[in-house]
Amino acid sequence: MSDDAMHAVQPRRKNWFSMLFNPFRYVAGGSALVIGLGLMGPAAYVGSLSRTHFDGVLDVHSGLAAPTWFFLAESVIDWLSLALLLALAGFVASRSKFRLVDILGTQALARTPMFLVAAGFLLPGVQRFLTYLLENLPTLTQSPTATPADLWKDLPLADLAVFALVMLTMLLMIVWMVALMYRGYAVSCNLRGARAALSFIIVLLLAEILSKFAIISVARSAGITSS
Amino acid sequence: MKFLPSRCPACSADLQVKRLCCPTCETEVGGAFDLPVLARLSVQDQSFIWEFVKASGSLKAMAKLLGLSYPTVRNRLDDIIARIKNAEVQCKELHHPVEERLGGNHE
Repeated sequence: MSDDAMHAVQPRRKNWFSMLFNPFRYVAGGSALVIGLGLMGPAAYVGSLSRTHFDGVLDVHSGLAAPTWFFLAESVIDWLSLALLLALAGFVASRSKFRLVDILGTQALARTPMFLVAAGFLLPGVQRFLTYLLENLPTLTQSPTATPADLWKDLPLADLAVFALVMLTMLLMIVWMVALMYRGYAVSCNLRGARAALSFIIVLLLAEILSKFAIISVARSAGITSS
Repeated sequence: MKFLPSRCPACSADLQVKRLCCPTCETEVGGAFDLPVLARLSVQDQSFIWEFVKASGSLKAMAKLLGLSYPTVRNRLDDIIARIKNAEVQCKELHHPVEERLGGNHE
């Protein structure tokens, strides 16, 4: 075969769009697992500082104080719930042989946007806004004469703007994370089209339920409650 | 650089080789020769197989060479395997028409 024909298998140039939405074309398996798990720890630590809980595969909530290990446990439960169920779905839906380490790695790396969400909740404006809500909402909801306008009366507008911006970013990060989870599954199991999309949606819903139950069980056994 | 076409540009049917010639003595051989299954694959697929054999069939080595992840390379190999199987089936159908394969006897 000529040298010209060989150009077809030369390393391809990576573009930013592909790196953002389908990094698994270039990274998977052990390296993705190391990077993903490496980021999961700092994300859990930052989450513990900003009290940001990833209490479900797709959930982000803020406010409840808990030990640092619990934030890490939440991330690990979310990751394993989805990765193991996707591996099961892969065995059923895929005709190709695939490696478990690819699913574990790609799903760990797919959770990277959550690090940015946890960091966003650290912003002073967001913390002040959440403190304001936590301090004022119970009093206002218990007062029979209070109106919604009372809540907005003393609201720091700059903090509200920062909070709104972080919420919008959080939504975009969740969409990005789900897109990464899907691409990771599709690449790892060699699935595409309706078969890939349908099995992913079913597994995502099941993993959300499974992770929620598991996290609530861990929280209860550790005596961590919102009350 | 010209590539050997494997499909008819007019009707997309598989092409056959009708004439071969020796560049040394200019002897020509005529007939109807099928293209080998591998020659029916795209240039990219042929190049992939070429490199894959050179890499001793190691997907990890291929992933490193192409700068792609292991599952991406394995998926590409799976796709090529599917195309080779399709080409084999088409080849069998061409040489053993449906009646023959069903055991039809025209005596």
